[in-house]
Amino acid sequence: MRFRIFLLLLPLVSGLARAADLPALWAQRLKTVVAVEFYTETETERRPTVAYGTVIDRHGTIILPPVTVNPRVTPSQLKEFKVYRAGGANGVPAAYLGQDALTGWHYVRVEAPLSAELEPITDFAPAKPQEPAMAEDVWGIGLRNKDEDFQPYFLMSRVALIQGLPQRTAIALQEVAGPGLPVFNRAGEFVGLAVSSFGQSFVQFSRLDRSGTPVVLVNVEESSAFQVAAEVLPYLGRVPTNVFGRPLAWLGANGLQPIDPEVAKFLHLENQSAVVVSEVLEGSPAEQAGMKARDILLAIDGQPLPRLKPDRVVVAYVEREIERRVPGATMTLTVLRGDARQEIRCVLGDEPKLTNEAERRYFDRIGLTAREFVYADAVALRVRTSAMGGVIAHFVKPNGPAGVAGLHTDDWIKEIDGVEVKTFAAAAGKLAEIEADPARTEFVLLVSRGGETAVLRVKLR
Amino acid sequence: MLRVSLLGLALAVSAAGSMSRGFNQLLGAVVRIDVREVAFEDGAKRFNASIGSGVILSADGLILTNAHVASPRAVELSVTLSSLERVSARLVGWDHWTDLALLQLDLAEVKRRGLKFSHAEFGDSSKLYVGQTVYAVGTPFGLTRTATRGIISNNDRYFEDSRGVNGYETGAFNTWLQTDAAINPGNSGGPLVTEDGKVIGISSRGYLGANNLGFAIPASTAKRVVEGLARDGAITRSYIGLVPREMQDLETFYSVALNTGMLVASVDPGSPAARAGLRPGDILLAINGEKVDGRFPEQLPPIQNRIASTPVGEKLRLTVKRGAQTRDYVVVTEKLESRVGEEWVLEKWGLSVRKVSRTFARENQLDDATGVFVIGVQPGFPADVAGLSRGDVITKINQVPIITLDQVKAFHADYEKKPAPVLVEAQRNHQVSLYVLKP
Repeated sequence: MRFRIFLLLLPLVSGLARAADLPALWAQRLKTVVAVEFYTETETERRPTVAYGTVIDRHGTIILPPVTVNPRVTPSQLKEFKVYRAGGANGVPAAYLGQDALTGWHYVRVEAPLSAELEPITDFAPAKPQEPAMAEDVWGIGLRNKDEDFQPYFLMSRVALIQGLPQRTAIALQEVAGPGLPVFNRAGEFVGLAVSSFGQSFVQFSRLDRSGTPVVLVNVEESSAFQVAAEVLPYLGRVPTNVFGRPLAWLGANGLQPIDPEVAKFLHLENQSAVVVSEVLEGSPAEQAGMKARDILLAIDGQPLPRLKPDRVVVAYVEREIERRVPGATMTLTVLRGDARQEIRCVLGDEPKLTNEAERRYFDRIGLTAREFVYADAVALRVRTSAMGGVIAHFVKPNGPAGVAGLHTDDWIKEIDGVEVKTFAAAAGKLAEIEADPARTEFVLLVSRGGETAVLRVKLR
Repeated sequence: MLRVSLLGLALAVSAAGSMSRGFNQLLGAVVRIDVREVAFEDGAKRFNASIGSGVILSADGLILTNAHVASPRAVELSVTLSSLERVSARLVGWDHWTDLALLQLDLAEVKRRGLKFSHAEFGDSSKLYVGQTVYAVGTPFGLTRTATRGIISNNDRYFEDSRGVNGYETGAFNTWLQTDAAINPGNSGGPLVTEDGKVIGISSRGYLGANNLGFAIPASTAKRVVEGLARDGAITRSYIGLVPREMQDLETFYSVALNTGMLVASVDPGSPAARAGLRPGDILLAINGEKVDGRFPEQLPPIQNRIASTPVGEKLRLTVKRGAQTRDYVVVTEKLESRVGEEWVLEKWGLSVRKVSRTFARENQLDDATGVFVIGVQPGFPADVAGLSRGDVITKINQVPIITLDQVKAFHADYEKKPAPVLVEAQRNHQVSLYVLKP
């Protein structure tokens, strides 16, 4: 009788023994996760953001998910980075290093006392990372909010699907880690990094809407999708050397649109993918190499574009192929033009000045941030680069004098007080002069919006 | 008993004086219009039915109504006379810019059936004063021969709507009469009259959800449009590409005297004005030597109308002030076009399209007016299955650039005869995509 009981208990005990190693693994791996808090200071606001980060080296370098920072914000507006350990109440100052174009990760580095307490994720990476198997158990760490001292909690699930998006991405049955935090297998090996913004479709019913409305819900605190270790580990060393993440490779083939399998069949392209180039940007490496709008891109350096699902993923694939290269590198593109295949040899250029690199200045009395007109503005406004000039209304204070006059965000200011402003310096000088003159009661702007212009009269109080 | 009360009513009416005869004649001239029109929106040919009002203007049966009641899309127009008899009619012409359309009663049918009708006369809308009593007569919500009473609330109301008449532009060339006489859906096209039954406006629109804010096209405008439509079936206007704006309070900045000039807010790229060298921020002082006064918004429609009334292809001498300098520019007018191009449905593809017009191309910053705009697809049909949707601009079919709507019809006709996959190139927000329409 006693014997029998013992036999019954045995499987239970061994199960417990396996589970029992998890607390130890858990405690050790807590040192690889942090919460990062910072402030975004805009013209009139100061907003805190909290993101989750993974430690990547022994110098206290941390990576944060791509969506952490609003792309309209320029790095100089990001203030007071602080890093908190899981369960920690005290933030330690950190520096923002910039964003890497290929991975999209933002890098921060925390100062000495804390950096020594942290452990890089590489310590838990197997020598040869393997994709987790279907149905394999995976687990990770979630972090509570700041008011709960970023208390860590345990999440666990199983792999349900692995897909190329284009990075190999595993989707688990349910939430497995905080976005930006590592995922481990039962042995405690690093198997991937949880990605943010993984949406799930639901239909929402209500008393007013009985037929239901489809909605996509994104859990911002936990994620059920993660990029596998092989898509993470090779790129950890891409620490930006400047906040803008330069150098940035530039091709200048714009508006890439995937073709669907039916179109591929019609064009006799079997077992591969292709993208249509909507536009070849003026003065770009693509233009110099002879690429034309409506060319259909078939292959890069002889490698046909892979079939990825959904179709649009191939666009991200092509963009990554450009981003992983450096300015000056050569890229041989095979395109279909009409019925003929052509080889185009492009030497990648340096990305023109980005919107967040543009000069900007806020004029409080006018209620306007003027921003330098950059190449991307010419592309967005569909004007030749020879027509570049003036400034962009980057921010218009609600109900401020410029706002009341009818100025909108992203309006293109071409003239101030009837005088054409060719450069940012000229426009900023003129606006500063108006702002500094207490006798001034009004001035006039000529702005362009959607190809139409308007004369706006700004009354100063 | 009944007779007595009727007599009493007649007495009461005659006691109202001048109102009786003219007003009664007017009532005999107001008609209900039942319209069946084709709609192309959903990738299929569908028919919509609606009700409006109209007023007979001549003994030979010309009926004035709104352009948003009777358009070239109407396939069946049925007119109910005041005698309650129904007669068919045909469209003579329409003008969405003033929201007016002219119909012709089937006189042969009228004669055959021995029907009678009276016709109304225009009054002088320029003599109206605010507070003057007016009546709206029409068919609100299908309630035939409904008269409502109100006053002229404003006799010079400016409002321009780039999509006001079923997606077509309206109001740029005239101001409107505003009245508090109840104007409801179905009143559209009915007359707004004075107490003596003279037509001083055509009821056109009201503010939905507002109380007693109705608008009518003044008779002065209607008279001109009726003449033009009766003569040519259409109103041809000239275009130079200036977007006007009132000067109001900008006179000091531009150093011009009060009541002088009109501000050029925008110049359409590639338009006659742009080619002549006009620029936004210019002040238009005179047209062919005639001084222009655009101080207030209400003054803009007459200036626009002055330009639009110039024969197409004629030279206009514009006196323009830019900075401290004043000089003349000569522009050659072009024919004014609507932003809404011709529409059609390609039924086998389940695809409704509209020709891209110059105005549409400019508004959407397209390089030129190539292509057709997708206005609808029918679920489950080839266009929908391929992924086309409303808002796409089809630029090529089987690698052939699409310049005209007829080309698209021809490709569709080929497909109808012998269904085979068709390659379509379309763009949306300047992004080019390819689609295959499969049988």
